[in-house]
Amino acid sequence: MTGSHDPAGSRDPADLHYLAGTPGFVNQEARRCLSPDRKVHEKMERCMFRPGPPRISEELADFPEDKPCRDSEYRSYNEEATIFKEEEGMRRIKAAVCIGLLFSFVLFSATAEGAKEAPAQQGKTVLKWALWDLAATTYYTPLIAAYEAAHPDVKIETLDLGSTDYMTMLSTQLTGGDDSIDVCTVKDIPGYSNLVKAGQLLPLNDYISKSKIDTSVYGGITDQISVDGKVFALPFRSDFWIVYYNKDLFDRAGVAYPTNDMSLTQYAALARKMTSGKGADKVYGSHFHTWRSAVQLFGILDGKQTIVDGNYDFLKPYYAAILAQQKDGICQDYATLKTSSTHYSGVFYNNSVAMMNMGSWFISTLIAKIEKGETQVKNWGIVKYPHPDGVPAGTTLGTITTLGVSAASKKQAAALDFVKFVSGTEGAAIIAKTGTIPAIRTNEIAAIIAAKPGFPADANSKGALQVTKTYLEMPMHPKSAEIEVVLNQNHDNIMTNNVNIDEGIARMNKDVAKILGR
Amino acid sequence: MLATNQRTDLARRKEVRRNLVAYSFLAPNLLGFAVFTLGPILFAFVLAFLSWDGSNIITFVALDNFRRLIDDDRFFTALLNTVLYAAGTVPLTMVCSLTLAIFLNRKLHGRNFFRTISFFPYVASLVAVAIVWNMIFNPSKGPVNMLLGALGVHDLPGWAADKDWAMITVILFSVWKNMGYYMIIYLAGLQGISPELYEAASLDGCNGWAKFRRITLPQLAPTSFFVLIMITIQCFKVYDQIYMITQAGPGTSTLVLVYHIYNTAFVSWNLGYASAIAMALFILVLAITVIQFRVEKSFA
Amino acid sequence: MSARTMRPRTAQPPTLRPRTARPFPNALTYAFFIAVSMVMFIPFAWMLSASLKLDQDVFSFPVRWIPENPRWLNYQEIWTTIPLGLFIFNSAKLTFFVTALQLLTSSFAGYAFSKLQFKFKNALFLGYVATLAMPWHVYMVPQFIMMRGFHLNNSHLGIVCLQAFSAFGVFLMRQLYQSIPDELCEAARIDGMSEYGIWARIMLPLSKPALSTLTIFAFVTTWNDFLGPMIYLTKTNLKTIQIGLRMFITQYSSEYGLIMAASVVALIPVLIVFLSLQRFFVQGIATAGLKG
Repeated sequence: MTGSHDPAGSRDPADLHYLAGTPGFVNQEARRCLSPDRKVHEKMERCMFRPGPPRISEELADFPEDKPCRDSEYRSYNEEATIFKEEEGMRRIKAAVCIGLLFSFVLFSATAEGAKEAPAQQGKTVLKWALWDLAATTYYTPLIAAYEAAHPDVKIETLDLGSTDYMTMLSTQLTGGDDSIDVCTVKDIPGYSNLVKAGQLLPLNDYISKSKIDTSVYGGITDQISVDGKVFALPFRSDFWIVYYNKDLFDRAGVAYPTNDMSLTQYAALARKMTSGKGADKVYGSHFHTWRSAVQLFGILDGKQTIVDGNYDFLKPYYAAILAQQKDGICQDYATLKTSSTHYSGVFYNNSVAMMNMGSWFISTLIAKIEKGETQVKNWGIVKYPHPDGVPAGTTLGTITTLGVSAASKKQAAALDFVKFVSGTEGAAIIAKTGTIPAIRTNEIAAIIAAKPGFPADANSKGALQVTKTYLEMPMHPKSAEIEVVLNQNHDNIMTNNVNIDEGIARMNKDVAKILGR
Repeated sequence: MLATNQRTDLARRKEVRRNLVAYSFLAPNLLGFAVFTLGPILFAFVLAFLSWDGSNIITFVALDNFRRLIDDDRFFTALLNTVLYAAGTVPLTMVCSLTLAIFLNRKLHGRNFFRTISFFPYVASLVAVAIVWNMIFNPSKGPVNMLLGALGVHDLPGWAADKDWAMITVILFSVWKNMGYYMIIYLAGLQGISPELYEAASLDGCNGWAKFRRITLPQLAPTSFFVLIMITIQCFKVYDQIYMITQAGPGTSTLVLVYHIYNTAFVSWNLGYASAIAMALFILVLAITVIQFRVEKSFA
Repeated sequence: MSARTMRPRTAQPPTLRPRTARPFPNALTYAFFIAVSMVMFIPFAWMLSASLKLDQDVFSFPVRWIPENPRWLNYQEIWTTIPLGLFIFNSAKLTFFVTALQLLTSSFAGYAFSKLQFKFKNALFLGYVATLAMPWHVYMVPQFIMMRGFHLNNSHLGIVCLQAFSAFGVFLMRQLYQSIPDELCEAARIDGMSEYGIWARIMLPLSKPALSTLTIFAFVTTWNDFLGPMIYLTKTNLKTIQIGLRMFITQYSSEYGLIMAASVVALIPVLIVFLSLQRFFVQGIATAGLKG
């Protein structure tokens, strides 16, 4: 390739101008190099682009020093200057970027945090507590403060894993025998079952007998969550299902308030009476949230079946009753609620439902929101959960939140002590003061909750806190997580009227039987 | 003149040096990629033959996972749903983005504005956009069904709550969200077509549709091919949209392969089986991509 | 004809004929656009209007596009309810580094795959592309355990390492470089330029469009990435915007008004980047697709 030397000096190989006329060359940037003037460039674009293979070598061979350049390749002095300035500018930009990058890498490494923990603060034991919704939950901070005050050599750090998919997150963090988490809050039974199966929780039986913890205060819950006789977590918070009602709506309609002893038929009849209005002013008598527990679990209140038995024919009458309410417009349509992600709190706040079956966790949220003035509802009350005929009043569904210790934790003794504190009477008192219901339910605790400002003052509401028997929403079972998935899917199908009740229940039976290996 | 063996020596040394230079270019990306991505992927392939729950010991189970795969109803449901989803999304996205690109290639006032608007859905965060989509397609009160009702449609579709319409809802959402990105790819492809071709066709008396069929489409073939490959791979890997809009419901009408993998891996914590499903997915995608490559070669 | 004037090489272009024929009347085209723009934009209009409402009103029907009492307080509350400012800074930091590293390593690797010959080239490239077909959930747990072993979990460095070495970036850059004629590089090699010089002085200037494309893609992907940061960043001061958005959904309530307000705020930086790169944009992906 001789003869390709620019008389003015070595030609920069990045000089693409002689290529611009090459047929088949599609790179716009290269073509623009030739002509900064846009209009001329456009004209040339039309004429110069020709499909075909590039003929570079020919070009170069045709470019001896003495022959005048082809018109199209010729650049005026001004263009040369512009191009040079452009390239100079590019070089400056590149240099600036390099320096900037260097600087920011230094900055980055200075601010990036590794997984190295701060060295133990002067002999203090640091416990890591995995939980969710740290800012929105009122009892975490008082619990930590009280414990640290009583134990100055312990510091508790929290790890907020978020409430959506909390159990999945916790299990993921604990995979591979990780020791960074000491105390684990366990959100639900299926997740608990998974943690136990994976061996990620420490069995507590030895500690319980050694510290003489009396598990009877938990009302038999520890038996319900034991696996092969071993308990892996202690409950510190319990919730049960009640009925919330809007006193103002009842007063306006002139209907008597619900009582602490309602059968399901009475509840449905009352809801029917309270339904009124149309369109934006409609008041719904009842509200069933999209969780399957709001509908299915009426069926387990008689204690004859559980939700993990594998046979779900007993659910039929309850589905039928609630779908009838849906059809008649007594409660909101499931499909609408689900697709609009409507939260049960919103519909209660804006005075559009008269009664709602929901868990006792809503009490403190409701009190707080009314205090802030962000709701339309002002006067409300609670009553005991409606029960099937023949079942005593005060039977209800329950759910527990438990506290466990990670099996891989290096500070088990300290962690166990903290668990004992939170799930014991001291912790229960602190939790009760925030309006949340602890696992230990004595009369004193009930009085503390009822005394919270904002809690409805009538006798029925106080009485609703007395529960005779709770059935766990999801009993302990090694396959509870997978069963939950099947039940949710079929509940969805039935409530959206995509299948009729018999077909939905039949599918539940079939799929769960498969999971249970029958 | 160099002796023969000296010449081959030279050639070999040159080749070694050439390889070294090439690898030095590759090294930054390849090293990071190999360590952080390729390693775990290879391990996941091996996992398909093992049984592991993430914490306890790993046991070797050979082909047990695959035997279980063949018996698994949910796997075949998920497979069918994924194929349906791809069959719906791929052509629809390509057609929509191509149409948009052709229209946005003309000289119009506010062309940049329209281009930006079309790109909006792609850049928005999935959480918010999915909530909005569900609101708009709410079966009883959303604007879409209100409009359809006003137009006289009687059997209003249940959209995300209806087992026959849920998949369609998700497909529409995906098309809407990704349309802008592929539109821009097509726009660029259109820029590379010489206007001379169109002028020559006008001289020959072709009308707009014929021009489109005989010039635009063939010239866009390489671009279309690229878009086809990318969309297909993304369709088979879909998860986020399904999770946000229907949660694989109602029933199992929108259960897709990656959703099934997620449930197996993080609800049942059966990582070996999840890897087996993933391998099936991988082989399927690879087969389809290879077929697409072959088809393109035979056309080109 | 002076040799210094610009002239096209071929015959005079026809100047009387309009440049492109217009088979459709403009009115129809504009109507089509307005319709399409509404389809694209209405969800955002809803988002904006929802961001100014109280939670209980967000999902009320019929949809009230303009709220009667716009709740500007939402835009104030998002900064205090969660540390949104910190999250935005974290997201920006991660996005910047991931994008920069991706640009650098992908253009290096793309050049190698498209212009250089070396052993195992096809196998390696096939390996790169093949990994695109694997869904992330599958290898997430082994990857997580490995990263934890490197002590890279709960650090931004870990996230950068995970995302900066992407197969898609390499694929894209290779497509671009293929459209640049090989002869360019040949000429430069014969002139004695090293490969690094070729990359820096020929490839890089020509790939401004492609780099813009990759920037947009990497930016949007990292900015909106949720699962990776959620699993690896559990310390609150390291979290990103997308995790922050979901923090508005607590166990017993969902603050949709705040979610929408925060989403609107999170959208702004991405739009700024997109708008500023728009002019390179169209040309960049052109060359990526064409010589595929």
